[in-house]
Amino acid sequence: MSEVLQSLFVLGCTHHQAPLEVRERMALTPENAAALRQELHALDDIHECIVVNTCNRVEVYGLSATPTVEATVRDYLCARNGVSRELLDAHSSWHTNLDALQHAFEVSSGLDSQIVGETDILGQMKNAYADARAANCTGIVLNRLFEKSFQAAKAARTQTGITRGQVSIGNVAVDLANRIFGHLRDSRVLLIGSGDVAEKTAQSLKSRGVADITVASRTYENSHTLAHSLGGAAIELSDFAAQLKRFDIVISSTAAPGLILDRDTLAAALKQRPDRPFFLIDVALPRDIDSTVNKLENAYLYNLDDLSNIANENLEQRKAEIDRARTILKSHAWNLWLQLRRRTLMATRLES
Amino acid sequence: MLEEIVISAREALAIGASIYLSAFLFGVLSLLIRKPYPRAAMFTLLIGGFLFQTLGLNLRGAEIKGCPLGNIFEISQFIAWSLVLLYFLIGPAFKLRLLGFFTAGLAGLLAGTALLIPNWDHPYPPGIFGGNPWIELHAALAIFSYAMFAIVALVSAMFLIQQHGLKNKQFKGLYQYLLSVQQLDLMAKRLLITGVVVLSAALIFGAVFWINHPERVPVFKLTVTCLVWAGYLIVVVLRIQKRLATRRHAIASIGLFIFALASLWPVQSARDTIATEAPAVQKTSE
Repeated sequence: MSEVLQSLFVLGCTHHQAPLEVRERMALTPENAAALRQELHALDDIHECIVVNTCNRVEVYGLSATPTVEATVRDYLCARNGVSRELLDAHSSWHTNLDALQHAFEVSSGLDSQIVGETDILGQMKNAYADARAANCTGIVLNRLFEKSFQAAKAARTQTGITRGQVSIGNVAVDLANRIFGHLRDSRVLLIGSGDVAEKTAQSLKSRGVADITVASRTYENSHTLAHSLGGAAIELSDFAAQLKRFDIVISSTAAPGLILDRDTLAAALKQRPDRPFFLIDVALPRDIDSTVNKLENAYLYNLDDLSNIANENLEQRKAEIDRARTILKSHAWNLWLQLRRRTLMATRLES
Repeated sequence: MLEEIVISAREALAIGASIYLSAFLFGVLSLLIRKPYPRAAMFTLLIGGFLFQTLGLNLRGAEIKGCPLGNIFEISQFIAWSLVLLYFLIGPAFKLRLLGFFTAGLAGLLAGTALLIPNWDHPYPPGIFGGNPWIELHAALAIFSYAMFAIVALVSAMFLIQQHGLKNKQFKGLYQYLLSVQQLDLMAKRLLITGVVVLSAALIFGAVFWINHPERVPVFKLTVTCLVWAGYLIVVVLRIQKRLATRRHAIASIGLFIFALASLWPVQSARDTIATEAPAVQKTSE
């Protein structure tokens, strides 16, 4: 077990190392993330494995007896998302042992998130852990690591004010919509896809009184269900381009591998309403909307990074609380590290 | 009553311009420390500047016994005065944030520049409008329309600043206090239409005078005035047809206002030439 503990690792490609253009190439579908986890766990070198896959991070947590496991994990991740090793090496981080523990705790508590202090990541970590555990890919070390990280996250949140003053993507979108349209009572929203962030953004806009919300998704049933929950209407995904001119705010969050909305389609819609602006929110990864549409007059495009940067503008004022949270997490990580070491030593003595 | 006032017209106008510039600097400082300026303070400063400017223009009017629009200095002061008056009418009604700040800046610039260039305040014979009420109405309306175009230019500048912030993802400082791009665009459109209506009315009254006294209106002045009017009319027509919208509309509005302002000097020079060449006509009309 001492060998195992020495090789606790996390390979990560997150918003800290990779810009949006790289992250969208690194992104895994849920099926690919599960397949990668199974592939790695099937290796003799790797005893436990969890893959955390969100729009801002792809991380592989694992336990290995082999010090050279890093190259193997990197190769498997590259093979799975079809990127070169050079690209991954340039935009990724590798933590081991105590650093890996500290990193997992910071991720769970939202300190490592793009919008510092956000709470969605905790749910995503829990889901990744539950999936891995259900697939028998976890063991005593990763179980303990993830469960303790959830507890540490809770402690950091309750004992500090890291979530206070934190701005959500939805609130940022509402502020931007106000800067574009003034009031939102005449604004019509089109939601393309049914991603979680997009749905929350639409809900924020709805709470500020937008005229109506329309949902377009690949499966009409999904569109209908989401539209019903938002009090709006559903349209076929194939129809949205033709109806684009009717909308003022477009939120896109599909899992499509390519562009959903290109420059020519938007330019044609703008031509039909030259004195009304378009507010486009692209929270998909890979991106759904051609980034060059921002060059069109009257089109204002914001992607995940743009929204997160705005949300983090008050970070300086929250720095003291963030530092306090980091200190709490460090102490939790250190305690867990000592516990794991103690267990290892006892196991070694018993073995001898 | 005006005879009892101890300060001269120029001094009163100078105090007015200084207050406008102080209001503008107050706004700049507030924005630099990233705090919105208190609207009441900006409003009070502008009222102070406006009162002194009104006093100065009244004293000047009493000196020349007519509407003080006889040289570029007076025209600039009158435009600045009308601009602030329009702000008092429009600002509170439409809650245009930062318009007070921009108005103070432009009014201070116009009034201050006029004070700093002595040549602009050259003497001219009294009764320049020949006691004709139509031509005085024409001049007052024309200047008022220029003030409206000044407000349109300010609103357009605010639109371009807000659009720049949105396109470049900038949010701190000036950007957060500006109205939305759609509201600013709509405001500029409405004010522009109103300005063109007022200028058209001014030209109709001027045309009545011109038909009766064609020798007293220089062709150059007539041409430039018609060019300014035609320019604004084209912009309005294109805007209504939605062929010139938002950014291009804002740029056209600012460009036309600069042209209108720049045309004042040669127009005034042409009028002065006519006035010196034909003193007899003035005496007759007096």
